[in-house]
Amino acid sequence: MISRQSLIVARWEFLRFFKWKQQLVSYLLMLAVIAAIALWSFFTDESQQQYRIAVPQELQITNTEQFQFQRPGIALETQLMQMQSDDSWHAVISLQDGQLIVHTLTGKKWLQQLDEVLQKYYRHLAAQQMGLDGAQLLALEQPVQIETRYLDQAYKGKDTPEKMIAIGALILLFVGLSTAFGQVLVSITGEKQQRVTEQLYAIVTPQQWMDGKVLGHSFSALKAMLTSALVMLLSFAVVSLFAKKTVDLSWLDISVVLWLIPFALLGVVLCASFMGAIAASIDDPNNSGKSAVMMITWLPMILTFIVIDSPAGMGMTLLSFIPLTSFAAMPVKMAMVTVPWWQPLLSLLLLLATVYWMRRVAGRVFLRGMQMYGKEPSWGDIVRWALSNKAE
Amino acid sequence: MQLIVTAINKAYSSVQAVKNVSFHINSGEIFALLGPNGAGKSSIIRMLVGMTKPDSGSIMISYQSQHYDHVPRRLLGYLPEDRGLYPDKSIEKNLLYLAQLHGLSKNKALSEMEYWLDVFELTARRHDELKQLSKGNQQKVQLIAAVLHQPALVILDEPFSGLDPINQEKVVLFLQQLKAKGMTVILSAHQMAMVEKLADHMLLMAQGQVVLAGTLQQIQQQSQNQRQMKVGFSSEVNLAQLEQLDAIVSVQQLQARHYLLTLAEQASVSDALKQLLQYGELTLVEMQSADLHQLYLAAMARHKPEVAL
Repeated sequence: MISRQSLIVARWEFLRFFKWKQQLVSYLLMLAVIAAIALWSFFTDESQQQYRIAVPQELQITNTEQFQFQRPGIALETQLMQMQSDDSWHAVISLQDGQLIVHTLTGKKWLQQLDEVLQKYYRHLAAQQMGLDGAQLLALEQPVQIETRYLDQAYKGKDTPEKMIAIGALILLFVGLSTAFGQVLVSITGEKQQRVTEQLYAIVTPQQWMDGKVLGHSFSALKAMLTSALVMLLSFAVVSLFAKKTVDLSWLDISVVLWLIPFALLGVVLCASFMGAIAASIDDPNNSGKSAVMMITWLPMILTFIVIDSPAGMGMTLLSFIPLTSFAAMPVKMAMVTVPWWQPLLSLLLLLATVYWMRRVAGRVFLRGMQMYGKEPSWGDIVRWALSNKAE
Repeated sequence: MQLIVTAINKAYSSVQAVKNVSFHINSGEIFALLGPNGAGKSSIIRMLVGMTKPDSGSIMISYQSQHYDHVPRRLLGYLPEDRGLYPDKSIEKNLLYLAQLHGLSKNKALSEMEYWLDVFELTARRHDELKQLSKGNQQKVQLIAAVLHQPALVILDEPFSGLDPINQEKVVLFLQQLKAKGMTVILSAHQMAMVEKLADHMLLMAQGQVVLAGTLQQIQQQSQNQRQMKVGFSSEVNLAQLEQLDAIVSVQQLQARHYLLTLAEQASVSDALKQLLQYGELTLVEMQSADLHQLYLAAMARHKPEVAL
């Protein structure tokens, strides 16, 4: 049960780091950057322009919308001089010992498209020389259609929108835990350095204090995840509007999203508790190597990403039940494979029990660490406190 | 409220910080813990606050017919030796946060805060960030934070440190107000003149042990063998010669030809005067009752750490 004091601490911590004006500005800046990139790509699209290409007389290549092939009948040197002195040619093509050479001023994206046109021309030429007609050539160029049929009915398929949701969830967890990482470290070690902890100890129990910290920073992490999700959706909508003139959100599976929420919530609380325990054991953040250990909380997402292409495999199954990784793995598995109802429920219960244990550990580490008065506890001390059952 | 501390001991690694200390404090008293750095004052305070537990002995508190084996947080107001609040938050936000943690409603916290800010002449600065205040003003805010919720027991570790004489006097008035409001106060301090004015009972400590305890009068009685005499000579006298006298333990020159003498335990005043007259005509003879500062220094001198050989 969360005490009133813990909720007051949580509110204080949440608001302490909630700089809404700065966050609004940063999100607007991010949207502006995305819009600027989209606009830049739109207005500098080289495929919309036309290019004049000088080719030898014997090259009977036909014009395309993008490329105008001309046979000037002047020496190659003169063509090259013209290309350098004025805009007569965007490229000059010559033949030397059967080798096609493209001369141009500098590297440009449209040269790849020119390369494709020339490749196609030469394939046609080769086909004609072999006596193939147009239909035969078309058949050769047609890619082979391969369809994979999965006997496991639970597997929803590769590269499905569900997989995109799963990857999006992992990215959001990264965002949330990165937010919590910074805030928990600054908040707890900062308070210790500003000598506030001794004052607070006389008012609230170490467990109430730690619960408040964990809750406050978990709310901050969830807020960061929520706003990032909204920004991602908004960016998707902007890009879709530019590209397809319509926004289609039918891929967003609400049932998967609903399962994501409790797992993300408990996962963030678990990680914030772990971070709180480590931060509480740090006396001076400038001279302690312990803060790096807090990054272990990113491991569940990395491990899940490694096994994401085998969502029904042993690796993903193990990760989706181990409470330290299940908050990342189970939602991903659920997005990609249909799982029996009891699996997420069992995983969630195990995770809940681990969250309860971890918050108790964090409270104990804070209390014992504070009683050491400036001496940093060893890893042995921390493990002993974690395994002991004594509270205050 | 009554606090009874019985034979508490506390050791950190190989250091015995508190040795067999006992005392009791009655409701509405101001109780002072005195002693040099390392005497064990902060160790006792941390045990009273509950941050550490005694290795042996007990701390009992009775409040409104209830008995506890520790000081409950709701009864406690605490000013730690290591001061600190949130420097980037305003005075008001800091105080409201702590008051609400103590269980006060926002309105009650606001009215209490306004009262104490007025006492410390900080009302106009209530919206200033803490880091914008002088060290003395920050300390005042911290003192307010310790009493905003009207605790039954206020524990103040070094409340006078870092304050100029004017602000020290303000803290004396503040402590008298707490007493008038019925709060019991435990403080540790080095400023003997302040403690002398305030404390009902005091405990002088050295090396974790109690050296002297009681009211100022009781301590003076306990130290009666520490008699002092102020004398004046008609001409200059050699200080070293006076120190050689059997009836004299120590000599302190007060001004030209005037000295403060501490008499030896067995020596009578007439013995001392006879010996002094060998060195010249006396223009002043005045028996002194030692103040707390002198008693404190004398007691500490008797408990100097033994030098390990």
